[in-house]
Amino acid sequence: MSIIGKSVIRQESYDKVTGRAKYTADYSSRSLFHAKTVISTFAHAKIKSIDTKEARSVRGVRAILAGEEFPLTGEEIRDRPPIAVDKVRFHGEVVALVVADNPKVAKQAASLIKIEYDPLPVVNSPSEALEENAPLLHNDVSKYEKEEGVNPIPKSNIANHVKIRKGQKEKGWSESEVTLEATFGFPPSDHIAMETRAVTAEIRPNGYVYIQSSSQAPFMIKKLISTYFDIDVGKVVVNTPLVGGGYGGKASVQLEILAYLASKAVDGRPVKMVNSREEDMITSPGHVGLEAKIKLGSTSDGCLKVAEITYLFDSGAYSDKAVHLSRAGAVDCTGPYCIENIWCDSYSVYTNHPYPAPYRGFAHTEVLFAFERAMDMLSNKLEMDPLDLRMKNAILPGDRTPTQVKLNRSTVGDVPACIERLRKIIDWDKEKVVKVSDHIIRAKGVCCVWKNSTIPTDSSSGAILTFNEDGSINLISGVVEIGTGTKTVLAQMVAEKMEMDIKNIHVQMRVDTQSTPEHWKTVASRGTFLAGRAVLAAADDALCQLKEIASVVLRADVDDLVVANSRVFLREEPELGVHFREIAYGYVYPNGNAIGGQIIGRGTYIQRNMTHLDPETGAGKPGPEWAVGAQAVEVEFNTRDYTYKVIKAVSVLDIGKVLNYKGARGQVTGAMSMGLAFGAREGFVFDEQARVLNPQLRTYRPVHYGEHPEYIVDFIETPHLDSPFGARGVGEQGLLGMPAALANCLSIASGVSLQHLPLTPEYIWRRKEGL
Amino acid sequence: MLAFDFDYYKPSSMEEAVNQFKVLKRTGKSPMYFSGGTEIITLGRLNYLYADSVIDIKSIPECCTMDFEHDNLYLGSAITLAEIEGSDIFPLLSKVSSEVGDHTSRTKITLGGNICGDIFYREAVLPFLLADSVVFIAEEDGIQAYNINEIFNEELKKKEGDLLVQVVTEKKYVTAPHITIKRQKQWESGYPVITASALKINSNVRVAISGLCPFPFRSREMEETLNNRSVSIDQRIKLAMTKLPEPILSDTEASDKYRLFVLSNVLHDILQALEVS
Repeated sequence: MSIIGKSVIRQESYDKVTGRAKYTADYSSRSLFHAKTVISTFAHAKIKSIDTKEARSVRGVRAILAGEEFPLTGEEIRDRPPIAVDKVRFHGEVVALVVADNPKVAKQAASLIKIEYDPLPVVNSPSEALEENAPLLHNDVSKYEKEEGVNPIPKSNIANHVKIRKGQKEKGWSESEVTLEATFGFPPSDHIAMETRAVTAEIRPNGYVYIQSSSQAPFMIKKLISTYFDIDVGKVVVNTPLVGGGYGGKASVQLEILAYLASKAVDGRPVKMVNSREEDMITSPGHVGLEAKIKLGSTSDGCLKVAEITYLFDSGAYSDKAVHLSRAGAVDCTGPYCIENIWCDSYSVYTNHPYPAPYRGFAHTEVLFAFERAMDMLSNKLEMDPLDLRMKNAILPGDRTPTQVKLNRSTVGDVPACIERLRKIIDWDKEKVVKVSDHIIRAKGVCCVWKNSTIPTDSSSGAILTFNEDGSINLISGVVEIGTGTKTVLAQMVAEKMEMDIKNIHVQMRVDTQSTPEHWKTVASRGTFLAGRAVLAAADDALCQLKEIASVVLRADVDDLVVANSRVFLREEPELGVHFREIAYGYVYPNGNAIGGQIIGRGTYIQRNMTHLDPETGAGKPGPEWAVGAQAVEVEFNTRDYTYKVIKAVSVLDIGKVLNYKGARGQVTGAMSMGLAFGAREGFVFDEQARVLNPQLRTYRPVHYGEHPEYIVDFIETPHLDSPFGARGVGEQGLLGMPAALANCLSIASGVSLQHLPLTPEYIWRRKEGL
Repeated sequence: MLAFDFDYYKPSSMEEAVNQFKVLKRTGKSPMYFSGGTEIITLGRLNYLYADSVIDIKSIPECCTMDFEHDNLYLGSAITLAEIEGSDIFPLLSKVSSEVGDHTSRTKITLGGNICGDIFYREAVLPFLLADSVVFIAEEDGIQAYNINEIFNEELKKKEGDLLVQVVTEKKYVTAPHITIKRQKQWESGYPVITASALKINSNVRVAISGLCPFPFRSREMEETLNNRSVSIDQRIKLAMTKLPEPILSDTEASDKYRLFVLSNVLHDILQALEVS
């Protein structure tokens, strides 16, 4: 019986539900020092003076770092001082760091540091950043050290420009009979992971750097700390226990750099840092904002001919992952449609806002909000049913993507099947708006989604299987358990491959860069694919070794052996065999002779046939497969006061083979709730000086219990042939279309086009009043 | 985590508490009365608030009462909002209390803390403003009674060191027809854009409002206009909207103009509900 698809409970769940699971901040020791930041109260200002005298006099203060130049940091462009020097560029930027005996003293001393600022004019949006006389955030971005393939525009606020040039836009426009042009936007926001970021760093006398961090990217911490501070990469050892929610935010390396510097300032003693919620929201990187302009051309019967698109990603003060976000947004710059002519310019633009990390969906939710809203607006103009328009243009095997990848049945999911299933589930063909009472109507809205990953072409993963004396297996993979249950799914794969009971597979939850094979980063819904392939290869390797030694013991050809239920036995005579426990540590003959030795299965996987994007056209193969889906939202809308309640949210996703049904459903509903909160409520509010007015959970509220709609999740299973058992990504897909579906739904309900997030009743009221 | 230490006192009588406050003050300390502690913790950790000594009032018997005596309801200032929510002793107050914060917070937030705290919505005071309740305040010379509508003007105008002990409400108000409506920025959590509570007494509607201004209020002028049944509800509301106190709040929860839009809808619902009933 197959264990693939079964709702196996994740291995760490008992620890979690009893509160015994340990996260980075839970580890403590008396030898730890503690560091606390002082953050900027201005979004753009010269630092006139920093007075640390009083803070230094507090008993228990060990060091204060401020105003000192350290190597610049940043994942693709090194534009970010770890601690501000001379000026600050966003509200929340680290200006000083206090290291002290305990957290209280650190906090006390931090509050005594006096900083004088000279405010500078601010850039408060991406479009402002592009104005002719806009203040420059960085004197000359092109002078910074940067990775290959980054395309900043010198002496501007543009950190990266990605071009997509597919077909000929002129041809597309000449063939178009109906056109639509519209702008869309939303402010930066935050992930609000339950666990705020935490890290401990120590520099040992022998030069080894030990870091423990709540991270989705321990291997990237290792590399970047080594690069930034010129330390042998093997001397940086990072470990990560369970992580209490990442959502992309913990894929950026930021707090680790500060903890390293803090440790260095106190002679390498271990230093612990734990973000307050406020720091986690604005000082550490958050969720990117966007301004978008979309022009669509179509024939009068709804055949899309051309898309001309500008995306301005709000990179905040430092580019870090925003460069990559602007690239990912360009790669899948449309919805999942076949459009012959696509012209897209995607920019990562500096502003005086907090800077972004990845966010679940990695630029896809953002782009899809704009594009899928534009699709509904076009369908309105065409007087065509929004789902019919999507069905007519759905991308199919044989079609080419915006980056000109020719698709086949394996590399793209089944868009028409998702649309059809959704149509039935939500009774789309009945009335779209129903009157419930005097002021209440029910309305539905839909959208389609797709996502590929744009992770580096050489992204890889490795896995090791070791055995215990009882024949059970230890599974060691570099995937961080961020709450997605991926490590349990990997155990299911081993159990399936080796036809053994999953109870006999023990998963190592912690990742240690010194002893765990690398998994690039636990991001991009790529855990089950990359790590899954590595794990299957490791299982194959172990199987070979088991059979080899068993063939000696059983005096049989390897080809005559079969493995199941933790035994290797003869195909023809299953009772003749050996249990793993007899051979996994070497086989011992009755007279004491031993052969074999420990069995250690090893496996790796590296992405196949990926290419960089052509700098002029964007052509290239960015990732292995497109997961697709169709989503809907149904609301009860009050036509008098514009309040609404989300009644139902529906996702039909083609995630290939479902590996763990309830696990997948949990990922999808969790992502949907996050998408609804982002669409309906979350977003930083900035004042005229670009300061964040709501950097607290009092005023910035993610979705609460009691506010959830009914979630309906259904899967289409079109296999991705390269992937273990044919699975596709499922970690992010549920989020992708929620803001767009909600905006489409509320636009229908309210009778005004809603093109900005968050979709609050006040925003709808302003649109109704024409304010 | 708080960056400051404080001394903790737990007096068992009102006199002791008030005296403790006075003594601490005289020795140059910054004392504060403490019941649920939610504001001290949440504002203190952001350095918005400071105290070097706190006086816990939860062992003072008068602060912990929740009972009727001779047709008067006595509610102690140390009763939590969750306790009020869980009892049906004053239905309007139970409803208003149940919409403040979230359940976890309400098991700590107390009646006195909500009325006397720094966070200016102070929604728990609304039913008492409507019911012409009497507050008992422990002062240096003993306990004093005040009509809440005289001593509560934007905030409870007690002298520093005085302690709100009880709020006393006549039974006829406790059982009167009522309604309360809370509207938030989005869905059902967060501070009020508008919270409006109403009681119907002798066929007249009384209304008290939080969220519109940086303080809760009850306006007699508005009530007079709203009860003038010679004109339509719409017109009454229009006129009442010209009699609002100032300033109208405009912040991350809502703009001033939107708050007025919400208020006019809410007033409409209140009048409809109470005039029909």
